[in-house]
Amino acid sequence: MTFSDDRPTMIEFKDVHKYYGDYHALRGINGTIKAGEFFSLLGPSGCGKTTLLRTIAGFEDISSGVIMIDGKDMADVAANTRPTNMVFQSYAIFPHMTVEENVGFGLRKDPRSKEDKAKAVAEALDQVGLKGYGKRAAHALSGGQRQRVALARALILKPKVLLLDEPLSALDKKMREHMQVELIKLQRQVGITFILVTHDQEEALVMSDRIAVMFEGEIAQLADPETLYRRPATRKVADFIGTMNFIPAEIVSESGDKVEVDAKGLGRAMLDISQAPAKTGETPVVGLRPETLTLLYDDQKPPERETDGVIDEVIYFGDMTYYDVYLGGTDVEVRLSMRNVPGRPVLDVGTKVRVAWSPSALVLFR
Amino acid sequence: MKKAPILQSYTLFYLLFLYGPILLLPIFAFNDSRVVAFPLQGFTAGWFAEMASDQNLRNAAKNSLMIALSVATISTVLGIFAARASVRYRFPGKAPLMGMIMLPLVLPEMIVAMALLVVLLSAGIPLSLFTVILGQVLICTPFAVAILTSAFQSLDRSLEEAAMDLGETAWSTFRLIVLPLVMPGIMASFLICFTISFDEFIIANFLGSGEPILSVYIFGQFRFPNKVPSMLALGTVLVCMSIILLGFAEYMRRRGIAKAGGKDSGGFL
Repeated sequence: MTFSDDRPTMIEFKDVHKYYGDYHALRGINGTIKAGEFFSLLGPSGCGKTTLLRTIAGFEDISSGVIMIDGKDMADVAANTRPTNMVFQSYAIFPHMTVEENVGFGLRKDPRSKEDKAKAVAEALDQVGLKGYGKRAAHALSGGQRQRVALARALILKPKVLLLDEPLSALDKKMREHMQVELIKLQRQVGITFILVTHDQEEALVMSDRIAVMFEGEIAQLADPETLYRRPATRKVADFIGTMNFIPAEIVSESGDKVEVDAKGLGRAMLDISQAPAKTGETPVVGLRPETLTLLYDDQKPPERETDGVIDEVIYFGDMTYYDVYLGGTDVEVRLSMRNVPGRPVLDVGTKVRVAWSPSALVLFR
Repeated sequence: MKKAPILQSYTLFYLLFLYGPILLLPIFAFNDSRVVAFPLQGFTAGWFAEMASDQNLRNAAKNSLMIALSVATISTVLGIFAARASVRYRFPGKAPLMGMIMLPLVLPEMIVAMALLVVLLSAGIPLSLFTVILGQVLICTPFAVAILTSAFQSLDRSLEEAAMDLGETAWSTFRLIVLPLVMPGIMASFLICFTISFDEFIIANFLGSGEPILSVYIFGQFRFPNKVPSMLALGTVLVCMSIILLGFAEYMRRRGIAKAGGKDSGGFL
């Protein structure tokens, strides 16, 4: 059971379509986002993830279908009355206002007293780590600080859903990794549903409770990070998330909940039906993640199966070494990764090796 | 830095050609002689007194001020609508429509004035200061649109979405976010339209009803040698006003940019 299973539904999509003229941007989106969940919309640019986020915020009308937020149909609800707030990719900090005025902007119609509002602003700034920055001019802030202001400005309204449109893409790598962790902590602390749009699969895996992978206006798979990584539903998803080796295979037999395959260079293997997602009509291949393959040193015995191979390429990463290996005298090349631990030398190109693998790590795409 | 004597002297000559005549204005405006010629005859402020006591001139100035303020206001408001529409929305026939709005920029003003005159006369609309305003708005609106389009273009669209997202309506978003951020553009548009209208001659001459308008009045007075010195005094006042106005416009523009945290790139001064 994952985190999301026992949560009430916050957002529900029912067959959502969106056309821009002739262009079919969203092609039948279905699915639910649970309350308190850190949810990511992941996909390459142009896949419709930002469009979908903007339909939740109310910045885009949908052509057909239903979007429900907290049980209410959003069809006739304008962006300014939806229980959502957004952190924009450009942060959209109002340049002619101070940090304080920016953060307090949403409280303009709030009936609370001036003092209470000022207190709320100070609390929100404290929450994002910008205590004492209130009087600063908004345009004098760094990228990271702007993002915190944008976060505080959205969170001060206590929305049911916080929408984040590629909020980390403008930051440098170190800052991005730092903010990823901060965002996760913040989300746990406030308990609000976060929906993140990103094209960075690593970011999505790190941060999310669940991820919807989108291609060409459709959700290709909606699952928790581990399922997405270990059991991708299609070859395209497998290719987009991390690295995966694809090995040509033939289906030998299929009966009940077992499928037997003959993978080139690996040999026959019996797979559970859960390792074979629904047919898409492609030529059958089996997928293997690099870390599920291991080189056997000296007289090590394989835990399950082993295959001979020859090293074709060595890519040294410091903590890891990637080897490209031809399997079992065939032209099938796989990439495998080995942790560089003491007593395990980096091998040279051309070395004959034994490769250990496990049938349970295979995924069959057909 | 390398010296380029030819370019340097060309630049100097060019500037002298541009501004030399204007410098002569105050010199002769304070010269104690009805004849505009060297050598100078002595200092007097009498021409300014004569100018100030000219009732017709005061009427003309009042009318011109009224026309210029109206034209600047109307053109800038129309410019805001047009620029906003052209930057934000896509609609059928947008390109030809925007082209038509900008056309008076390159159309000979004489043609515009004559065409308007014919139309107004055949429609039985009596000429008045109002028809002058009408004609000048046509000329000034393209300038307003050009200036305001660039102001609206530099506005990040997500700022408006952010305001809506935070609970504001379309109108309050415009008031709280868009207007303050394009205000320097609005000021620039207003001042430029004001200046264009204030010294505009052709339309004022064609579509005016005979009520005095400053540019037409000055032109008329130059026929009388007696009047020339006081017209030079008036010219001096107008030049000073222009400099003050432009200086103010530039100050507002820079303040606007600094407030929005932008980088200063160009401007009038």
